[in-house]
Amino acid sequence: MSDIATTGASPPAASVTRSGPAPRHRLWRLTHGAGLIFGLYVLLYALYAYQQPRALDAYAIAALVNNTAPLALAAAGQTLVVLSRGFDLSIAGVISLTNVVLAVYPLDGPGGALVSLLVCLAIGGVVGAVNGWLVAYLRLQSIAATLATMIICQGIALVILNAPGGAVSDWIADELTARLGSVVPVSGLVVATVVGLWLLVRRSDYGVALYAIGADEPAAALSGVNVRRTRFITFVGAGMLYGLAGLMLSAQTATGNPNSGTPLLLLSFAAVALGGTSLSGGRGGLFASVMGAATLTLLQKVLFSSGVSSFYTGLFQGVVLIVAVVFSGLLSRIGERK
Amino acid sequence: MTVMNENPIAQAGFQQSADTRRSARVSAETVSTLAVAALCVVLLVGARFISPSLGSWSQVETVLVLGSFLVVLSFGQGLVILTGGLDLSLPAVATLSGILATNWVGASDPGAWCLLPVVLLACGCVGFLSAAGIVWLKVPPFIMTLAMSIIVSSLLLGYTKGTPRGAAPDAAVALMKGHLLGLPAPVLFLVGFVLLGWLFQSRSVYGRYLYAIGTNVEAARIAGAPVTAMRILPYVISALSAGFAGLMLVGYSSGATLRMGDSYLLPSIAAVVIGGSSILGGRGTFLGTVGGAILLTTLGTIISAIGLEFGLRTIIEGAIVLVALLLLREELFQKLGSLWR
Repeated sequence: MSDIATTGASPPAASVTRSGPAPRHRLWRLTHGAGLIFGLYVLLYALYAYQQPRALDAYAIAALVNNTAPLALAAAGQTLVVLSRGFDLSIAGVISLTNVVLAVYPLDGPGGALVSLLVCLAIGGVVGAVNGWLVAYLRLQSIAATLATMIICQGIALVILNAPGGAVSDWIADELTARLGSVVPVSGLVVATVVGLWLLVRRSDYGVALYAIGADEPAAALSGVNVRRTRFITFVGAGMLYGLAGLMLSAQTATGNPNSGTPLLLLSFAAVALGGTSLSGGRGGLFASVMGAATLTLLQKVLFSSGVSSFYTGLFQGVVLIVAVVFSGLLSRIGERK
Repeated sequence: MTVMNENPIAQAGFQQSADTRRSARVSAETVSTLAVAALCVVLLVGARFISPSLGSWSQVETVLVLGSFLVVLSFGQGLVILTGGLDLSLPAVATLSGILATNWVGASDPGAWCLLPVVLLACGCVGFLSAAGIVWLKVPPFIMTLAMSIIVSSLLLGYTKGTPRGAAPDAAVALMKGHLLGLPAPVLFLVGFVLLGWLFQSRSVYGRYLYAIGTNVEAARIAGAPVTAMRILPYVISALSAGFAGLMLVGYSSGATLRMGDSYLLPSIAAVVIGGSSILGGRGTFLGTVGGAILLTTLGTIISAIGLEFGLRTIIEGAIVLVALLLLREELFQKLGSLWR
């Protein structure tokens, strides 16, 4: 658990590029790490387990993790872009596109699944590279450039499949939602792998550069960070994560829908914000966003088991989002004052 | 924020004494507005070559009527963006007003139009709540309006139990379907709205305050601008204009759906950006935004008239947004370049 508190906090090297920030207080680090959101998740889970005693068995946990995985991966990708002080709307387009490709061109068997995985990563990577080129090299505003690529991806998805339909290959639909040794959900392993990779990347030169350009781009450039390349890599990495999210979503729905990515667009920002990542860049972390996504999904389950009509899920999601952001803001202000 | 303070182009809007720079800025904006307007005309006339039914006066009327929703919506969005924010709750608020107008006010009672201001008031309250969260609770605009959007949509879902019913009030239908002096009423309304919007944003003291705040909040505060009120105002106006657009939409289509506003969020941002505004705030004009909105609508109607399948049309629309952005890049490039020096 010790690394949870530090997962989201920016690495010390990033602060070198800022002009004399206040010393990072422990509480400050905690609030901008995943501590707060992790605590909220545990509380919510306790409530869920109290309402539904079966919530603790392997089947229920696997179902919850399966539901969480697509949003968690999408939010993980969005976090990278937000850390670099950008917004990525192409998330909806990439997820829809990969979902449609998987449903229209199903490849069976484990070999087929591997090819599908590579195709998803490639689609995300290519869209991400276009975004990165537009934003990093042509200097378009990220929200505007990714808006355009999102619309184009949605269009391509509609050309491939103009109405919900198709079937994802059985192997993907079965195995990616299964449990290893009837305990560990495969989707959870996928998310854990991404978080594990992130922990390595965060310590790398790229990770430090990412936080640095998000915190203060001119200062980062002056201290020798290759801003363009860092931003380009960020969009490519984010795109690949959206591709992976599309794969996990397809495994779960087992069918294709040209608009399947749209609901994840705003929810990915909600998950990032709930995780305490600053939307003005440079502060936060990927694991916190994964927990944010998990909290949003769990909240849905808790409300359902409390007998609240599913109509009002959004009401609670919105209120939790505002309260979490206000609370984390308050804590960080207290932390900075000390 | 410190980055924005160093931006000489944006500051010129606030320094009234810097006469030469200010006039240069205004003329640059006028040029880009005229360029967008000229592009619309070229497209409409050029469309004749694609299909003889295009480029006619009736098609111009269609574009203006369809574009009026987007113009009204992007007026509010433009004001919010001008102060450095972003309003993601526009679709939800437009749907709120549409649902209230059909399900609550309805078409049965001719005197029911008196209730339409109440509908707009409800929308204004949503905008005020967003602004309150942003100004007093210090929630980032992006998050606050996103949360409000999710909350309002969910309440509407609960209120209608998933199936909206009722018909559009007569007053809304009259506004969108009526004719006056041989012109469609929405076209006349659009002209009036654009004029008022332009007067507000570019010629009134409130509009100038918004530019000042979008450029540099602290400088605006020191200069004596009522900063708190002026940070709340754009969100209230934005919600009111979204509410009005919702009434126009139900008047035009005679009914409301729970997703009626959804397809207008991204175009409302695109219209503002294509119109030459900076998404960072402090720069842009309403006339530019109007041009952007009409341009998007013109392209949309031409593309749908060609009869391509929906997916290809979507791809072309996206490509057009991209091309428009790339054409505006020189300006952006200069602006970003100035941040380095």
